[in-house]
Amino acid sequence: MADLRVKLGPLELQTPFMAASGTFGFGEEYASLLDLQKLGALVVKGLTLRPRKGNPPPRIVETPAGMLNAIGLQNPGLDVFLSRELPRLKKSGTAVIVNIAGDTEEEYVTLARELSRAGNGVLALELNVSCPNVKKGGILFGTSPSILASLVEKVRPVCTLPLIVKLTPNVTDITEAARAAESSGADILSLVNTFLGMVIDVASRRPFLANETGGLSGPAIRPLAVRMVYDVYAAVKIPLIGMGGILTLEDSLQFFMAGAAAVAIGSANFPDPLTIPRLTGELNKYMKKEGIDSLEEIIGAAHQNTV
Amino acid sequence: MFLSGVRVMETEEVVDGCFSLLLEGKNIAVNAYPGQFIHMRIADNLLPFLRRPFSLAETFPEEGLFRIIFRLIGAGTKILSRVRRGDVLDCLGPLGTGFKPCEDLRLSILVGGGIGVAPLLFLAKKLQEKGNKVIMYYGASQSADLIPVHQFLPPGVEINLATEDGSSGFPGFVTDLFQTHLQNGLLPEEIFACGPRLMLQKLAEVHRNKKIPMQFSLEEMMACGIGACLGCSVEMQRGENETVFKRVCRDGPVFKSCEVVW
Ligand SMILES: Cc1cc2nc3c(=O)[nH]c(=O)nc-3n(C[C@H](O)[C@H](O)[C@H](O)COP(=O)(O)OP(=O)(O)OC[C@H]3O[C@@H](n4cnc5c(N)ncnc54)[C@H](O)[C@@H]3O)c2cc1C
Ligand SMILES: Cc1cc2nc3c(=O)[nH]c(=O)nc-3n(C[C@H](O)[C@H](O)[C@H](O)COP(=O)(O)O)c2cc1C
Ligand code: FES
Repeated sequence: MADLRVKLGPLELQTPFMAASGTFGFGEEYASLLDLQKLGALVVKGLTLRPRKGNPPPRIVETPAGMLNAIGLQNPGLDVFLSRELPRLKKSGTAVIVNIAGDTEEEYVTLARELSRAGNGVLALELNVSCPNVKKGGILFGTSPSILASLVEKVRPVCTLPLIVKLTPNVTDITEAARAAESSGADILSLVNTFLGMVIDVASRRPFLANETGGLSGPAIRPLAVRMVYDVYAAVKIPLIGMGGILTLEDSLQFFMAGAAAVAIGSANFPDPLTIPRLTGELNKYMKKEGIDSLEEIIGAAHQNTV
Repeated sequence: MFLSGVRVMETEEVVDGCFSLLLEGKNIAVNAYPGQFIHMRIADNLLPFLRRPFSLAETFPEEGLFRIIFRLIGAGTKILSRVRRGDVLDCLGPLGTGFKPCEDLRLSILVGGGIGVAPLLFLAKKLQEKGNKVIMYYGASQSADLIPVHQFLPPGVEINLATEDGSSGFPGFVTDLFQTHLQNGLLPEEIFACGPRLMLQKLAEVHRNKKIPMQFSLEEMMACGIGACLGCSVEMQRGENETVFKRVCRDGPVFKSCEVVW
């Protein structure tokens, strides 16, 4: 076995393959198909302080090489997460990263404080400042560098865990948000969240999704995401988690070479629930074949090799 | 829940644009019960990207076989209609919460609209095996769309057909046919239904008037099919004044009619 461990600042992972937020639930459903311990980490569904009901259906629609979703952050809220989901997740031995979202800075701060409490077994927090579905909150924090910086500054002191800020791609220049998050205390950046999109149902002449718009994910967005990781890598010093349409080992390698120290797999889990274990095995073989001892050797490689 | 390759044993176009696939998959055949479904990967490449859900229409546990019956809709079902004997398909299942008939039931009424009849075929067989009298109401828009349901049903199941254009059986909606039987003294103990939303909604009105327990199989767009993504949620009543979203793929696809928010 090649050494698949990766170190992202204060965060150490067993493998560089994480399950992306919102696509793996709280792990319960996938546990009967694969060994959750073998995931680099499981990023749970976006968590809010109070329970969220979510959007009316239809919430998803298939698109060419991808899908749109407008789940609307349906989740059971912090209390149920702490009492029911987290103990079960801990027992499974998974590395748990909690994706948090709020309508106000105070909500983020409360979530970060409660989840940081010693002994509850959370590995890191991922600030979801980019969920495009909830009209209040979400989109605002991530699209304005100054609002984002203010949020990260408030969360930083109460968050004793590694702090990941997840960037939205729905901006003109993603490196501005990346720099703002870095300078206000983020340990790691993850990118990208979904791209805002729409499908029209021509029979009813209305937007297909009840929420009208949804977030585009899947292989359709991969080249856009790779470009953003590449640009952000050049703009900041902190480590990156790359995601967006990864399906194959080659897709993951593109993200590593663009500058991601780890990657997350989202929509690919739907057609193939065993994507992460498959990629883990394939990366192991690849590293042996290429004589790579540590993944660090190829992280950002594409930047050195430009003409 | 199992993820496995299932082998195509038999393909048949049962009526124009409607196909039956007999598949070999021991885990699914042995463990499935009526109302459950499978989630089928259509292609290794990205088109189409997501799996497709299909109800189990019949199982043969001893032989390790099961059947799905599907209508040609778009890209996914088109590819699926072209598979050949011997092909292996990537299949996740059995999935979901299916029909839970009351134990001391003696007379069961099944109402199916269009391709929604598929899960009811499986249910009819099981209910009949348990000694139930089964009456099936089955409607389609026209005669040419009617699946030869008797082909998949044990003898003794009473079949009542309706077509909207009157080309076969009762002229009109299957719910109207059912209503006339109710008026003529039919006394159902429990009703099981699957079909277009409008059909189910009409049946739910019957429920409100007559207080007959009903179980409906619903459809919604699905991504994961196992309960993780919350993409397939539908609104359900919880108590008098509150509603919650439940997952068609895991909490359903079968729900009590009184739960459904129309
Ligand atoms: C629990 C369940 C059981 C089903 N059982 C059967 C069955 O036994 N026989 C049968 O013919 N059909 C059944 N369907 C519907 C079937 O899944 C769709 O007809 C099929 O997915 C269409 O795929 P397509 O690529 O041909 O169509 P497209 O319209 O091109 O599909 C595009 C997208 O929409 C989704 N979609 C389209 N129609 C439906 C639908 N009615 N319900 C949910 N998603 C849909 C597809 O899965 C895909 O993601 C069932 C659906 C559900 C949810
Ligand atoms: C159904 C669904 C739900 C999602 N929910 C969340 C969420 O709650 N929080 C979040 O930060 N990202 C969420 N995402 C975004 C993913 O984590 C990921 O950033 C995005 O899908 C791109 O990766 P992919 O192309 O591999 O899916 C969701 C994505 C999907 C498809
Ligand atoms: S399809 Fe993912 S939760 Fe039902």
